[in-house]
Amino acid sequence: MRSLTYFFTLLGLLSILCVQAQEKALTVISGRIISETGEALEGVNVVLEGEFNGTTTSSNGSYKLTNVKKGDHKLKISYLGYQTIEKEFKVNNSDALEFNFTLSESSAELEEVELTGKSEIRKINEQAYSVTSVSTKNLLNSTADAQQVLDRVPGVRILQEGGLGSNYTFSLNGFKGNQVKFFLNGIPMDSYGSSFNLGNIPVNSIERIDVYNGVVPVWLGTDALGGAVNIITNQKNDYLDVSYSLGSFNTHKASVNGAYTNNKSGFTVRGNLNYNYSDNNYDVLADIRDGNGNLLEDNVEVERFHDQYQSATAQVETGFVETSFADQLLLGLIVAADDNQLQTGSTMASVFGAVKQESESVISTLKYKKTNLLTEGLDVSLNASYNNTRTRNIDTLTGITYNWLGETFSSNSQTNGERGDASFLEQDDQDVNSQFNVSYLFNEKHSLSFNQAFQYFDRDEYDRVRLEENENFLPKTLTKNIFGLAYKYQISKKWTTTLFGKAYALNVNSSEAESNTSDDMIPVKVNYSDVGYGLATSYFLLKNLQLKASYEKAFRLPTAEEFFGNGITVLPNANLKPEQSYNFNIGADFSYDLDNDNHFKLGGTFIYRDTKDLIFTMVSNNRPTTNFDNLSKTKAVGIEGTFAYRWKNIFNFSANITYQDITDEADTFFDSYLGDLPNPSKGARIPNTPYLFGGATAGLNFQNVFLEETDLFFNYYYRYTQEYFLSLSNLGDPNEKEIIPQQSSHSVELGYSLSNGKYNISLECRNLTDANLYDKYRLQKAGRAFYIKLRYQL
Amino acid sequence: MNKSIINFSKALAFCFVVITAISCSDDDDNGTKEGVSCNDGDFGVTLSAPIPGSTEFSYYTFSVDDVMSGTITAEGVGFEQTGYYQFTQIDNTIYSLGGLDNTNVVGFSQNSGGCLEEFGDVSFGDQVSDFVKADDNTLVSASVSRTSDIITFRKFNQNTLAATETIEVQVSDITTEPETGLEYTGMVISGDHLFLSYYKMHPTNFTTNPTDQAEVAVYSYPELEFQEVITDDRVGPIGGFGTKTGLLKDAAGNVYAISHSNPANGFIQNNSTDGVISEPVQPAGVLKINAGETSFDADYFFDTVSVAGGTFSNAQFLNNGKLFVDVNTQALTSQVFWSDSPLESAIVDLETKSVDFIQGFPEHTRGGREVSLIEDGNNIYTTVTEENGIFVYQIDPQNFTATKGAELQTAFESGFFKF
Repeated sequence: MRSLTYFFTLLGLLSILCVQAQEKALTVISGRIISETGEALEGVNVVLEGEFNGTTTSSNGSYKLTNVKKGDHKLKISYLGYQTIEKEFKVNNSDALEFNFTLSESSAELEEVELTGKSEIRKINEQAYSVTSVSTKNLLNSTADAQQVLDRVPGVRILQEGGLGSNYTFSLNGFKGNQVKFFLNGIPMDSYGSSFNLGNIPVNSIERIDVYNGVVPVWLGTDALGGAVNIITNQKNDYLDVSYSLGSFNTHKASVNGAYTNNKSGFTVRGNLNYNYSDNNYDVLADIRDGNGNLLEDNVEVERFHDQYQSATAQVETGFVETSFADQLLLGLIVAADDNQLQTGSTMASVFGAVKQESESVISTLKYKKTNLLTEGLDVSLNASYNNTRTRNIDTLTGITYNWLGETFSSNSQTNGERGDASFLEQDDQDVNSQFNVSYLFNEKHSLSFNQAFQYFDRDEYDRVRLEENENFLPKTLTKNIFGLAYKYQISKKWTTTLFGKAYALNVNSSEAESNTSDDMIPVKVNYSDVGYGLATSYFLLKNLQLKASYEKAFRLPTAEEFFGNGITVLPNANLKPEQSYNFNIGADFSYDLDNDNHFKLGGTFIYRDTKDLIFTMVSNNRPTTNFDNLSKTKAVGIEGTFAYRWKNIFNFSANITYQDITDEADTFFDSYLGDLPNPSKGARIPNTPYLFGGATAGLNFQNVFLEETDLFFNYYYRYTQEYFLSLSNLGDPNEKEIIPQQSSHSVELGYSLSNGKYNISLECRNLTDANLYDKYRLQKAGRAFYIKLRYQL
Repeated sequence: MNKSIINFSKALAFCFVVITAISCSDDDDNGTKEGVSCNDGDFGVTLSAPIPGSTEFSYYTFSVDDVMSGTITAEGVGFEQTGYYQFTQIDNTIYSLGGLDNTNVVGFSQNSGGCLEEFGDVSFGDQVSDFVKADDNTLVSASVSRTSDIITFRKFNQNTLAATETIEVQVSDITTEPETGLEYTGMVISGDHLFLSYYKMHPTNFTTNPTDQAEVAVYSYPELEFQEVITDDRVGPIGGFGTKTGLLKDAAGNVYAISHSNPANGFIQNNSTDGVISEPVQPAGVLKINAGETSFDADYFFDTVSVAGGTFSNAQFLNNGKLFVDVNTQALTSQVFWSDSPLESAIVDLETKSVDFIQGFPEHTRGGREVSLIEDGNNIYTTVTEENGIFVYQIDPQNFTATKGAELQTAFESGFFKF
């Protein structure tokens, strides 16, 4: 901890030394920005290109830039989902200039906008970080949810166990699962409970999704290792958005979102209601067995019969926005519930007919944000939440087994459930989370920001069936404290660097087996603290060619679920160690406009990671459960490329490809009887992990087809994953190896909007070719499916 | 033509190239395996490797010609199986039992062309404790779990591997003591009876308080109905953790029950959690159930500690009627729990009660796993884990000598076979 103190002191000193006098104000540029329909646009980026002067528009669409020097300038107006406007002008001796703009919407492509942050120096300084921002502006009519939107981002791969509501693993550039942290408006999503997940956040309620590759900015304040995803929900002050979608497998998704704000007092009420339901009864190819376990027929097309999912969420937030005391002060309450039936174990070899999980959550939230608190340049924000989630994990059907036809076979056992020993585990989780940020902008060259993230988690467990399980009576608490400090230095107009340090502290009360010759549990305390640091830098080699590099010594503390399990599919492991990693990223982004109509973008990233104690999901021996454990040493080398092209607003095409080679570098492996033995898998690729995958998107967009004020769009999505091994790549007869075959999926979408987007209808066909798609341990996913979505917005 | 349109066409062509490059091939490969793997040789091995990021192993089963020199690796050869498996050879077939989250039974046999062929596919939820031969056409498996209230027997057709019958019997026939589960140690079928040995343990802390007598459960065969539990207080419980050789049948149908009651094979008394190893209540030794009978022979007792200086485990009958055993000669109070070591190997005559230790065979551990032992002509072969690797040893059972052979590149001894 001492070295940390030195480090932060040094950072502080450095930043004070570098403070320079601000330049004298000359001219003020102001104006108002509206959409084609006359609606004031809030949050539009207004930047003087090549200079470090920029702002965003307020809720009435107005902006003001001060300190504009004499001479030639180029004003750039950009907004997610709208066409960018550039205006060249000259400042002579005038005190003030006024420029008003009307922005027109851009095409229906899945727009990736690099948030270089030049326009938002007042906001968080994320220039040097590698971030892809996905605007949902043009996806609002899509039947997709947050998960499907993310699956189309370069470097991102979502591995899902089944249909709507099933478990998924998110991977980003070779990072997997909890190495990548999810945030909802800056609050860690793991504090929201199971009913709040990517699969049931409707795209309508999302404004944009920021995907951070590699180094995660300090202001997100967490121990993410491989990146972060921040989902920003609709921040508009007055709107109503109602949608309903219906699709294959009896899937229904309904969503109502709205906000009302009194412009005078700043009083605001915003809320949303979401309901999702699916039978998930899609067809899979399965082996049919008799009561003795004999294979009667293999690869028989059968319907999943125990995979129903439903979730409901109601959220209301009220408070004040844009007042003198706060930009945002909101108190919120979320009530959510979900029921989830479980069809299979970790492979399709085990099939269940009665196992299920139910949960309810009540979450209270507090959000406070103020820019220029007390003094110009001092920004403060606080996000806090308290979550109480009750979960019931039910496997109480004893003496019955199912086959894939849904037939039952009975035995005389009163103790054997479908997944092993019968159980009815009730969990009562309490989770307090807070994120506090303070940042100070000394001038356009120097800024400093501080973050503190805190989590306290407490679980009570009780098993109505396995009363003797002493583990359930032992404490399960976790306290996390993470401090971060970042200093940003604008070395030149082209070159930005951020230096940061993080301090981690973890206290866990858990239980572990008394010895390796006993399953009896005894309480155990884990205390851990360490420091990490890093550097992120970006440089404009040319006006349209940006280079980015970052290096970080990062830590990731295990999550509550990793320590304590989820009660049904994930077993606890009190011996988990934090994961530490040396991460290096280097990337380049190039954009080129052939003429006014043809626009190209090209990007590439190289990653290298050296990870110790990688936290990895392990499938249990002969049991349909997993648990998390550490993998002592791994190495990841990867490259990722993206390409995008746009012709006018009519046609767009983008493609991405990712290759990642993650290998096991441990010299030994541990055998519980024989101790450390030489590792025959050293150098082998980590199995069951896609290593080559990519995707492509093409879209067409026509305005005023058939009627005025209408929009007709067509999108095509392609997803590709190269065949990969379920086990070691170097061993075994190549014809007899267990593989996940190469997969290609095609989806198409057709939509039509009337009255400038007030009434919308869209149709989507996913997995058009009805290909066999798999994830995880060859768990089959849905075949061809159709969805229709109706949406009304005010 | 409009310049922009021309550029658009060019761009479209470029996009097409990009998408073609990404979707480089569209083979409709659904990953089906052929089920045949060819590799010369009449020996068979199963090698294992830990899967990074998993508690599982991948197992590779293939035939091999020379087991006495060089290094045997699974690079590019062998049937792959992933999860947790046990392998056993019965007659000319290798049987694998295990899986990822269930138990699969699959056989491998050598076809006329010398290739290994996979056959059979039976799958169920419980873990199989053992798999033995009942008669010329029938194999019987037992699933015994310390937390279950039933024991499941299954009968299989030996040639097709079809499961023909599933029979459940109640654990309460054997014990109704609270907080007591059964740990499987051995099973044989002799005449019209199935004998099942076990020891009683606490289902969660694994202590083995009842060590005051040997117990064997007797079931009728082929009905597999519970008959009785036979007991004998000359020795402690029969068999030990993982070794599966608590009961052995000789060619005449006599059943021998081996008790080793030692901490190294899982016998832990209640106070052992304080770090104190207490002596088991009853000594180790070998008992006999004569062919056709269902009771211990009161006149037969082999005091292994007096004769061999230790306890027997990992035993297997040889073609000459003698027994290959591992002997643990360490004092009980010095043994490490569940270590299954230190072991020395010997050839034992159960009738004359003679013990001949094998010279040149290293002291070893079996790691709580079943031993693979094969006979070829006058020699027997087994594998041993040594400091610098796992090696094949050829043993001459007449002269009690051993010769070191090939190195196996494997995580642990998984299977060693002879066709």
